[in-house]
Amino acid sequence: MSPITRRLVLVGTAAGAASLLVPVVVRSSIAQSPKDETAYEITDWIVVASTGEVTLGLSQPEVGQGSYTVLPQILADELDVDWQRVRVRFVTGKDAYKIAFKNEAPAQKEGASMSTTTFYERLRIAGAAAREALTRAAAQKWDVAVSECRTERGFVISASGNRLSYAELAPAASRLPLSTHPRLKEPHQFTLIGKPIPRLDSRAKSTGRALFGIDVSVPDMLNAAIRMAPSFTGAVVAIRNEPKILKMPGVHAVVRIAAVAVANEEAASEHPGLTSLSRDNAVCVVADHFWQAKRALDALDVVFDGGPQGGLSTAMIDGLLQAALGGDAAVPVVDIGTARQILRDQAASVIERRFVLPHIAHAPLEPVNATAHYRNGVVEVWGSIQAVTACQEAVAKATGCAPEAVTVHVTFLGGSFGRKIVPDYVVQAVQASKAVGRPVKLIRTREEDTQHDVFRPNAGARLRAVLDEVGYPLAVHARVAGQSLFGATRKSWLDQTPEGAWDESMVDGIYNQSYRVPNFSVETVDTPLPIPVYFMRSVGSTAAVFFWESFISELASHVSADQYAYRRHLLTAEPLALRVLDAVAQASNWTTPPAPGLYRGIAYNCYVGRGGRFKTYVAEVVELMNVGDRFKVKRVFCAVDPGLVVNPNTLTAQIEGGIGFAMTTALYSRITFSKGGADQKNFFDYPLLTIDEMPEVVPIVLPSDRPPQGFGEVVLAPLAPAIAQALQHATGRRLDVMPFPEAAFRR
Amino acid sequence: MGLFTITVNGASQSIEVEGDTPLLWILRDNLGLTGTKFGCGIALCGACTVFVDGKPLRACSLPISALGKGNVTTIEGVSGPEAAAVQDAWVARDVPQCGYCQSGQVMSAIALLKEIKKPTDRDIDLALSGNLCRCATYIRIRAAIHDAARTLVG
Repeated sequence: MSPITRRLVLVGTAAGAASLLVPVVVRSSIAQSPKDETAYEITDWIVVASTGEVTLGLSQPEVGQGSYTVLPQILADELDVDWQRVRVRFVTGKDAYKIAFKNEAPAQKEGASMSTTTFYERLRIAGAAAREALTRAAAQKWDVAVSECRTERGFVISASGNRLSYAELAPAASRLPLSTHPRLKEPHQFTLIGKPIPRLDSRAKSTGRALFGIDVSVPDMLNAAIRMAPSFTGAVVAIRNEPKILKMPGVHAVVRIAAVAVANEEAASEHPGLTSLSRDNAVCVVADHFWQAKRALDALDVVFDGGPQGGLSTAMIDGLLQAALGGDAAVPVVDIGTARQILRDQAASVIERRFVLPHIAHAPLEPVNATAHYRNGVVEVWGSIQAVTACQEAVAKATGCAPEAVTVHVTFLGGSFGRKIVPDYVVQAVQASKAVGRPVKLIRTREEDTQHDVFRPNAGARLRAVLDEVGYPLAVHARVAGQSLFGATRKSWLDQTPEGAWDESMVDGIYNQSYRVPNFSVETVDTPLPIPVYFMRSVGSTAAVFFWESFISELASHVSADQYAYRRHLLTAEPLALRVLDAVAQASNWTTPPAPGLYRGIAYNCYVGRGGRFKTYVAEVVELMNVGDRFKVKRVFCAVDPGLVVNPNTLTAQIEGGIGFAMTTALYSRITFSKGGADQKNFFDYPLLTIDEMPEVVPIVLPSDRPPQGFGEVVLAPLAPAIAQALQHATGRRLDVMPFPEAAFRR
Repeated sequence: MGLFTITVNGASQSIEVEGDTPLLWILRDNLGLTGTKFGCGIALCGACTVFVDGKPLRACSLPISALGKGNVTTIEGVSGPEAAAVQDAWVARDVPQCGYCQSGQVMSAIALLKEIKKPTDRDIDLALSGNLCRCATYIRIRAAIHDAARTLVG
């Protein structure tokens, strides 16, 4: 047991304003009734007020995945508190809130589907330790043995019937040492974990009261609109009409914004072609109101150059990709048996497929924006921020102040999918605030948000196989090429080999695939580009699993095998994989021939968490139906083994939403490039799935004794290959690109 | 600059502003009504859906000078049996994920139920296909609209 010193915390007006449904921000437009109350910090996560209200700390930003409900649910179960009386507040600033991702220093960050996996134990221990401290405080007060006391929904009760509330015990409990190994509940004792608890934020989000970054208002705040150089390597050359613009209504300033190293969580990583950051690559207009800023910005005559990579185009990028797929140089990732020898020896019977996928954009519905106030080396920022530590460090680096001098207030995030981990927009807001000496809210328009996303990289693949005498893979060689995500953003995450470095995310779901392939070779080729890239929901697997599962479909169809039976045979040694595959086949009546006009596809993936932190098994069956002269995805069966499920309600939401998200990727998402920058601007050329296109989703969640595995990203990857397989049944056409061409769905 | 007097959620408001300013930014920046969201600026995503004289409109593309004497209702001021039924159904189904588009979704759903008491799936498709949701909460949106319709019919 290690005693932990805790301080008594006074919760004054500022924290009082953080209501149950608004994580942190004080809105100047809402009058606050000062309500002083004394509150006691029992652990890093739990504050008990004298009024009886229990505040549970939430350190993982709520991006839609349900952390605002699920993580407090874990704490509250072990704490044994009345769920109706808890409130949730976003918290920062303690080591307890940090996670170490792979080999990096611990950081407070939501990402990689790690929240529940990582915090499940930590929060249970925190809740149980607090309950123990409260129980000990009561036992001391009553002078009885701890074993004679029990807890019940916010009270400690003694064997003789004495009863004290957590609020009454909090002053004493906050001074007691905390056990680092408290007794945790047995699963049968859970009252909240495993239950489909309603989300705590649904009412606020259904009535317009939830506060997002874009809704932040602080006293004396100005608003800014920004235009960045269209080319990723471009710079501001001239502003021709600044005096005229400064006279426009409401305008305070025209501010040149210095280029920001976009994915700057790791100092060693800089984008090729973006190495020279000492340039201004954006201009913003600061005005009283946003529309005044935008109107003035639209009238501002700014000249940008394209910079050293101003000629970048999609044709050039695809040329690099094809050269990489066909060339000699590649980095070996896996080499089992004698795959390449067999492929050479049996060249005449090689089955080959090639695929090409574009860069795609995150497109959260809330465009990136931030509010910042720079004051003499001290910075306060507010907004939709997914990675607190990275944001502090980026702001500190850009302004020359210490990371501790940067306070980050996190609101609800209006979608992120990885985008809002990268704090480029926050740094821009800080620069604007520093220039005008007042707080500034900077909002990117949809056009700026799309063109200056940090994109999911492109990828291409060439897969070749020779089958054995009964039609199963004897040897497979897979080469994946594209812009390496790790190479561009996280060099320390690259795997080093004597032949060079490889990026796990390029081959996620291929190099660690589950099927029995006795001779197996995988290699990658990085084609560096000056395009800002970053992690996007499901990362590389949305590309790699499409390649891999489409290729398995190809092999099965080559020998006219049933797609389910073929996969089943190759997964005989993987019982957890078979479980989801069988479950989805059973739920979809796979072994019964489909009705006329109905076509099916099946796909499987085991999503392995970064650093091998978790394994979530997923299998999906897509049903495609004739609707008029087209085929439509009507229904998706999705079987998952996610380990213990803390909240079946939010998990099901992630299945439904994940399928819809993957539909957008399969049908629509494509960023093209010309003149050094992205071409797409808004939802007319970067469309999202609409309600009429959303398939019915049948979730099948398999019970499991494993601890909670990651979930937010896992259902996406198998969808596209399952659709492609169903389309091939329907039309005979093979799909080797995403998004699928519109014509692919015509009968 | 012009002086515009508009009625928002039943209250008369005088605002001195340029006539090209979209209603959305007047609601958000001048009146502090941030429940109505900015998503695209060109009436493609529906996040800014408000009612003008009871009809759903995209506030991002409606200049204040074109509003005339229209009565504006935002998510903060929406009321009546359809609003209550829709919002209760939204909560009961836990429709929102990130929640950013949901003000617009809720407004479009209320407008639909005022128009059609018992909408079919096709009616829902037509009325809601202009409201984008990146989290793809569409399944629960559809279910919640059917729930709300049942509540209203009684």
